[in-house]
Amino acid sequence: MSKPLLQRNTRYLLTWLPVVLLFCSFLFYVMLRMQAHHMQEKQLLLKQENVWKTFVANKGNIEKHIIGEYDIVEATQPVALNASRDTLVYYADEKKSLPFEILTGRMQWNNTSYNLTTYVSSTEISHLIIKVFITEAFILLLLLVAIVILNRKSSKLLWKPFFSTLHAANNYDIARNQPLALATHTGTTEFDELNGSMTSFVNNANTAYFNQKQFVENASHEMQTPLAIIRSKLELLINQPGLTEKSASMLQDITEANDHLSQMNRNLLLLSKIENNQFPDAGPVDVSQMLRHLLNSFQEHYEYFPALTCNIEDHVVLQANRSLIEILLSNLVNNAIIHNKENGEMNVTLSSSYLLIQNTGPKPDIDPMELFERFKKGSYQTKTTGLGLSLVKQIVLLYQYQISYQYLDGWHMIKVTFR
Amino acid sequence: MKLLVVEDEHTLLQSILEYFTQEEFLCEGSATHADALNKIEDFSYDCIILDINLPDGNGLRLLQHLRKQKKDDAVIIISARDSLQDKITGLDYGADDYITKPFHLSELNARVKALLRRKYVHGTDTLELGNLQIELFSRTASCGQQKLSLTKSEFDLLAYLMNNPNRVVSRQAIAEHIYGDQSDNMPSFDFVYSQIKNLKRKLKEKGCDDLIQTVYGLGYKLSL
Repeated sequence: MSKPLLQRNTRYLLTWLPVVLLFCSFLFYVMLRMQAHHMQEKQLLLKQENVWKTFVANKGNIEKHIIGEYDIVEATQPVALNASRDTLVYYADEKKSLPFEILTGRMQWNNTSYNLTTYVSSTEISHLIIKVFITEAFILLLLLVAIVILNRKSSKLLWKPFFSTLHAANNYDIARNQPLALATHTGTTEFDELNGSMTSFVNNANTAYFNQKQFVENASHEMQTPLAIIRSKLELLINQPGLTEKSASMLQDITEANDHLSQMNRNLLLLSKIENNQFPDAGPVDVSQMLRHLLNSFQEHYEYFPALTCNIEDHVVLQANRSLIEILLSNLVNNAIIHNKENGEMNVTLSSSYLLIQNTGPKPDIDPMELFERFKKGSYQTKTTGLGLSLVKQIVLLYQYQISYQYLDGWHMIKVTFR
Repeated sequence: MKLLVVEDEHTLLQSILEYFTQEEFLCEGSATHADALNKIEDFSYDCIILDINLPDGNGLRLLQHLRKQKKDDAVIIISARDSLQDKITGLDYGADDYITKPFHLSELNARVKALLRRKYVHGTDTLELGNLQIELFSRTASCGQQKLSLTKSEFDLLAYLMNNPNRVVSRQAIAEHIYGDQSDNMPSFDFVYSQIKNLKRKLKEKGCDDLIQTVYGLGYKLSL
């Protein structure tokens, strides 16, 4: 499962940084202990030296025992010498034992051996260790938080060019053919490189797409003249005297095929013009009026116009190019006539927010998603160009409407949502 | 009537010339800008059919030149460009009509005739064939003394056939004439068939029998 970069980075830090910090704390504690012990040993030696000097100076005439400070006893039985040890000293007035560190040294004076044991309290030093350790732990915790925050901040800052590139790439639409305006100097070499290659990639794609569109337009244009020649020759031919029925029927087939070709060519040209955005002048278009007019003229000219139920709201006005809306409406209505059944029905609903055209008819034998693609049509229809619905789709895309298709209980439903 | 056709595509030029010669026009053809310019300078024509894209110049320049000379020859542009802007530009330069390729010769013929009528006939504007008469201005048709009651498309259809008498006019040409650009997405031109049927019936009722003949499946012909 993928997660955002920032989250992953933080998660990684939060997993491994505490482990490192814990280990460091442990190491610090051990070092601190060792240093403290070393310091106590030094103190004990210093005390031993001082006490013995005083003892010798006063010719043994000093207090032999001071609790928690030193003991001087004649050496009778062997004890561990010159190595510090832990011990507990009982304080009667406080009624408790306190930890001490002691060191016993053997001294010689007047041919007598003395064991001099010096004491240093361990309580203060262990308190100090605990306090230092707590402080250290607190500092490490602060460090952890600071590292995570700093890391997040710097990541955000560093990755900023990347995210703006990503944003631009997401918004890029090849159909609009705009260049991708990316920063050329982001301050990071890799991102400069990324932006550079993205820009050239998009420019290449744009050029290829533009050429493709130009090609369709130019090809359609170039086809007009030969089509016109064929058409004119056919017209002269059908007026020749001595036409037999057989040649007439062949001529009719040629005429039909040629007309089909010109229609297709014209529609292709129209498609590429819409794609090239060559219909800029938009104005208010009264769709209600146009739709009624269109339905009337279709009814007048089709002998087998399906039974029509209209629900057209008055004064539905769109801001668009008039001829494109006319193409949109006539293609949809036409579609509902062609793909109908005998004695079929058609419902047309228009409101300010949508246009819904429903018609009876056989189930489409192609995937509904492909209906709006070029040259996708049911196999039984050979006389259509297969471009009608893709023109509709192109116009819908141009004006950012939405279109949906559904087939339910013997009804085709096409809905265009305006806003 | 004198007609000049300026078109660089030789075969198309020939077709147009042949069609209009049969219509008893005095036709001349020209395939280049330079040749057309000479002809325009030397003669005057009733109508000029002008292609815009010529190998040695733009047809629009020719048109501009013509209008500067205050010549009022009727001009119809034939062009492969079908955008509204191109049409507006053409009409702005002083063309009288604009027709896009590929066109039907019968349509071009009807347009040329309409232009010439506009140019030479004032007031009444009548077409006649036998005892069938139509008034284009008031959009009425009559057979002898009897008025025909026709729908709008039936009248357009009849007028179209009257403009192309004694010729086979294809169903496609009729559909395109009546329906214009919208005929592009029509699955069939069956409506032409039913309108011809109605028109024939109405003509027969008023005594103009058998004027319209069906020529196999190709189209229709109006003749005596």
